[in-house]
Amino acid sequence: MAAGVAAWLPFARAAAIGWMPVASAPMPTPPRDKRRAQDSLIVLNVSGTKFQTWRDTLERYPDTLLGSTERDFFYHEETGEFFFDRDPDIFRHILNFYRTGKLHYPRHECISAYDEELAFFGIIPEIIGDCCYEEYKDRRRENAERIQDDEDNENSKDMVLPDMNFRQSMWRAFENPHTSTMALVFYYVTGFFIAVSVMANVVETVPCGKTQNRVEVSCGERYALAFFCLDTACVMIFTVEYLLRLLASPNRFKFMKSVMSVIDVVAIMPYYIGLFMSNNEDVSGAFVTLRVFRVFRIFKFSRHSAGLRILGYTLKSCASELGFLLFSLTMAIIIFATVMFYAEKGSSASKFTSIPAAFWYTIVTMTTLGYGDMVPKTIIGKIFGSICSLSGVLVIALPVPVIVSNFSRIYHQSQRAEKRRAQKKTRLARIRAARSGGSNAYLLYKRNGLLANSEEEALVSKTNASFDVQHHHLLHCLEKTTNHEFIDEQTYETSCMEVSMVKQASRSSSLSSSPRGGLTSCCSRRSKRKSFSVPNSNMSANRRGSVQELSTIQIRERPLSNSRSSLNAKFEETVPLNSEEAYLTAAVISLPTPPVTTPEGDDSASSPDYSQSNIVRVSAL
Amino acid sequence: MSMTTPAKRTQWKEDIQHFRMGHGISSKVLLNCCLVRRVISWASPNNKDSVEDELELSAVRHRPEGLEQLEAQTRFSRKELQILYRGFKNECPSGVVNEDTFKDIYSQFFPQGDASTYAHFLFNAFDTDHNGSVSFEDFVMGLSILLRGSVQEKLNWAFNLYDINKDGYITKEEMLDIMKAIYDMMGKCTYPILKEETPRQHVEIFFQKMDKNKDGVVTIDEFIDCCQNDENIMRSMQLFENVI
Repeated sequence: MAAGVAAWLPFARAAAIGWMPVASAPMPTPPRDKRRAQDSLIVLNVSGTKFQTWRDTLERYPDTLLGSTERDFFYHEETGEFFFDRDPDIFRHILNFYRTGKLHYPRHECISAYDEELAFFGIIPEIIGDCCYEEYKDRRRENAERIQDDEDNENSKDMVLPDMNFRQSMWRAFENPHTSTMALVFYYVTGFFIAVSVMANVVETVPCGKTQNRVEVSCGERYALAFFCLDTACVMIFTVEYLLRLLASPNRFKFMKSVMSVIDVVAIMPYYIGLFMSNNEDVSGAFVTLRVFRVFRIFKFSRHSAGLRILGYTLKSCASELGFLLFSLTMAIIIFATVMFYAEKGSSASKFTSIPAAFWYTIVTMTTLGYGDMVPKTIIGKIFGSICSLSGVLVIALPVPVIVSNFSRIYHQSQRAEKRRAQKKTRLARIRAARSGGSNAYLLYKRNGLLANSEEEALVSKTNASFDVQHHHLLHCLEKTTNHEFIDEQTYETSCMEVSMVKQASRSSSLSSSPRGGLTSCCSRRSKRKSFSVPNSNMSANRRGSVQELSTIQIRERPLSNSRSSLNAKFEETVPLNSEEAYLTAAVISLPTPPVTTPEGDDSASSPDYSQSNIVRVSAL
Repeated sequence: MSMTTPAKRTQWKEDIQHFRMGHGISSKVLLNCCLVRRVISWASPNNKDSVEDELELSAVRHRPEGLEQLEAQTRFSRKELQILYRGFKNECPSGVVNEDTFKDIYSQFFPQGDASTYAHFLFNAFDTDHNGSVSFEDFVMGLSILLRGSVQEKLNWAFNLYDINKDGYITKEEMLDIMKAIYDMMGKCTYPILKEETPRQHVEIFFQKMDKNKDGVVTIDEFIDCCQNDENIMRSMQLFENVI
């Protein structure tokens, strides 16, 4: 930090003369200072805006770009200045850092733009001054959350995964009901049965009619059989649902530990326990108590309602505030109950028989309920009673706004996430259109037959942008290297959907010796013919790597799910066998659904080079 | 707190006088009012500081004398004065350094130890007119002596630094204070480990060397004499000639 006060170093050194007379040892020789006679000005031209500063100012921080020799790379000979092609508005703050030693974060700037500039100029963001550090950290955290959110959404559940097995599609159906009709139906059916079950529990206890000996019976006793059948039906459905979820979940242990599954189990357990213990008289009392747990079925609704989930999440995140509320309330209750007990001890026929008895009065008063079943009769009791009710209002009112604001924050966050999800489709479609503009250009180029004669690339298309031409040449080289071609995304996706259906259909049929291997390798082979949706990414030259990467990039630009990597793993084994020839050996067997068996049909949209891919498919090895 | 600034206090007094005379209220009531105010003013502990802060704020904005005058009074060239002033003004935009800022700046050069005590003595040495702040003129005069002065002047300045109460004698206690301050700047992690009596021993050595007539104090003449006869000290005085 002494660099911030570098201008005062000469003073500090001069003041050292004060030590000389008392020095115990001779002084070391001073460093030879090859100082320039005059400090020179440096001109920094940042995208046209000129900044000037002393050379010494910049050299205060020698481990940054501007303070080290790294800035020589940006020196522009003709004008004698240092030119940076960066944002001048943000550069202003960076230069101020050199001048004052404090880095500030401007609130109106985007956090990622600012981070980029800092990284470019070699300044670590941790030295942002205290005045701006909190704001900076908050914005950064929000940004990270947003990115994480986007990633999670991309990761999901809505993407068409062609090679999912039954288990995974079932899990996906459970988690996202709107993905398929079956899932939606299931969702509504379970919701209906939860409602029916809860209603049945409620109606069971309503008195309806009298028996012969003028005794009120509840509906549950009157129509015992009907209610029992209804209960059985509901429990059947719930059990089946629970077992299905257990079966489909990717991590069964984790699923069993989750809150929702515990609620499910608690909801159906009483029925089964009742079944096994219905004959024993002694425990039937306990059995009746167990019926109370049936009311937990209402919590199953939280799968159906996002609001309930938010509420639960809020309560969880406000645990400390709630704990504080509880603690302060307990303290106040004990204090006031004691006081009231002793105050009312004297009065006759007082209801305040003991301090725990006074607890009830205190709670009722502090929460301003005021049932009136216990009232103080002495004057002093009344005084303390009024103090009790006043303080109750205060004690309860204090933590409540914290909880409310937490709920509001989480609710708004989820609203924003919902909005983003809704807009995601359109946003992604636009992004994809923009990106595929690049790849489409290439495909268009190919279709125009300009690449057919590979040596004639000098005759370029009308656009004549040399960057595009070189890029297309590069892609063409890659095609030649791997002996596969680029197609666009839609054709790939449709073909994959069909292949997955084919796979599922063919599970039953055993026409080939190893349908699985054949199909998977075909599908994976198919995976090679994916469109190159990221035009400017670097593909590794390595063949195996390139295949892997192609399939990786196609589906999503992030980690693969289990099945996909396993598929690729399988494919990797087969790659050495089929290295050079693109289309042979393991193939789709003829299947009852003719349109599906010609996967090449989908590629008809793309280049005519595919005509040679209409080879005869033989059965798998 | 704002109730108790001196201006406001007098204003209140006047108001109360008028009120009293206008409404014929007994002095007891007014005394009670004053009592309440006094209780409040007692309850707010930062009373004095707030007054001082106000004074401070109003005393800001010191501008130094012209460049030519400073050039004449010191031994610095124009360019050097420009560089010095730029550095000075950067750290102290108001034009004066008060003791806290001074300590802060000086401490940044000695991060390992506690430089505040020595900075306090230095501040007093630079603040020649003892008004509690070091202006640019004081600063530059001091530097001029330290960097461009004759050996005599430098030794004079050093004596002035050691003589804390400026009575013309350096006593053992004053020297001990200075020595402790210097050793404080070293901090804890030194080799060999700093012991309690190291400053005291150092002071003893100093006095043995400097105090010729063994009267327990060192006068300016003894000091200058002794230093001029010591080669090491003479050599070290020339060490910082090229600092600017």
